[in-house]
Amino acid sequence: MTPNETRGNLARTLLLFGRLALAAIFLFAAYAKLKPQAATAWSGSSIKTSLSLFAMQVDSYQLLPPQLVSPAAHSLPPFELFLGLWLLSGVLLRYASLITTLLLGAFFAVMVRTYMAGLEINCGCFGPGERLGPLTLLRDGSLLALALAVAIAAFMQGRKSRTEPAPVAHVSAPQRAD
Amino acid sequence: MISRINQGFSPRVASRAPWAAAILTALVVLAPAITAQTATPASAKTATPAHKHAAADTAAPGAPVKTIGNRNAPITMEVFSDYQCPSCGSFFENTLRAMIQDYVAQGKVYLVHHDFPLQMHTYSGQAARWANAAAMIGQFQDVDAALFDNQAKWPVDGDIEKYVSAAMSPANFKRVQGILKGCTAAPPTSKADRTAPQPDPGCPVDPYIVQDIVLGYQVPVQATPTFIIHYKGQSYPASSGIITWPILKQFFDTLLSQ
Repeated sequence: MTPNETRGNLARTLLLFGRLALAAIFLFAAYAKLKPQAATAWSGSSIKTSLSLFAMQVDSYQLLPPQLVSPAAHSLPPFELFLGLWLLSGVLLRYASLITTLLLGAFFAVMVRTYMAGLEINCGCFGPGERLGPLTLLRDGSLLALALAVAIAAFMQGRKSRTEPAPVAHVSAPQRAD
Repeated sequence: MISRINQGFSPRVASRAPWAAAILTALVVLAPAITAQTATPASAKTATPAHKHAAADTAAPGAPVKTIGNRNAPITMEVFSDYQCPSCGSFFENTLRAMIQDYVAQGKVYLVHHDFPLQMHTYSGQAARWANAAAMIGQFQDVDAALFDNQAKWPVDGDIEKYVSAAMSPANFKRVQGILKGCTAAPPTSKADRTAPQPDPGCPVDPYIVQDIVLGYQVPVQATPTFIIHYKGQSYPASSGIITWPILKQFFDTLLSQ
């Protein structure tokens, strides 16, 4: 195996690993925000209550005006669910990983700003009950780095597949009978 | 390198390695969050409002009544607060005041105050003593509001008395002063190591403050203000920080529409 092939294998493995890890994390994040927050069964009403509770966590960041808090809180968990499934499918990975990186970058920036401002609130990253602190910042920073690595690898692989010549079909042309 | 590693395994095992590694990484990253999700707070486990634990004491003659509203309201909100904490002041002025005037007045919400004075605040323990003494004679709501309204003033020199006296009649103030007459030792405050503070044996309000602090450890209160909402026997996870009234109201409306 040539060094180029080894590098290619490594990139493909990292891409698969990173994509699956990010997919699992986003799916869990969506689940944690949508699941019933009290001892009740799953229902439309329980999801509505969970999203309203998540809206309080979004509000505690003191970043958005009240009229934007609710739309943001109600759209974020379904979007995380969609992004998790998209990453899992591997379809158009370049775009999925780019959107993931941008989203995690935005989350990280908001969390750093909130932590620096001294607000002692719940992170809200994976549902209620987790305080925003240095460990949550470290975790989200690591996830951002992973998403960035996956996005770079996905774009590099995409470029490589476009520049490589298409495999030549080794089919012998029919002999002309003179 | 991967190919060299893979050479040691069957192709089937090698092809599953990235999946296994991805799942393992996701679990490692999510472990604290999963723990936070599965760890049920003490108050949620019992599905009993924390204020019910103190019911025996509040029923006792002379016990401080630090509640606002109708006990039979469908929603109960318990707030763990520190009178000197700026976030608690802001939460009271911008959210709780509106809630008291609206949903508490309408009988939809029953508000329960718990003291959680932080060690880092010089006068918050003493302010809690004044509030509890006022609560013993049914003047909690006025003194609670007076302490938050003047939060920028009394921590300057610790003259809490001035603002408490302005919030009630001279006769009632004398009664409150009488309750606090024996309070000579430092007031109880929450500790970083989560040990129960010692009440001043001569101070009749200290046991109630200690009781609130211990209850706060069980929640667990990690920052002030922290609040827990109970509805139809269910306890929702504790939230902390400043939540605006429109968003809190929306949550209450969602619960009430169930």
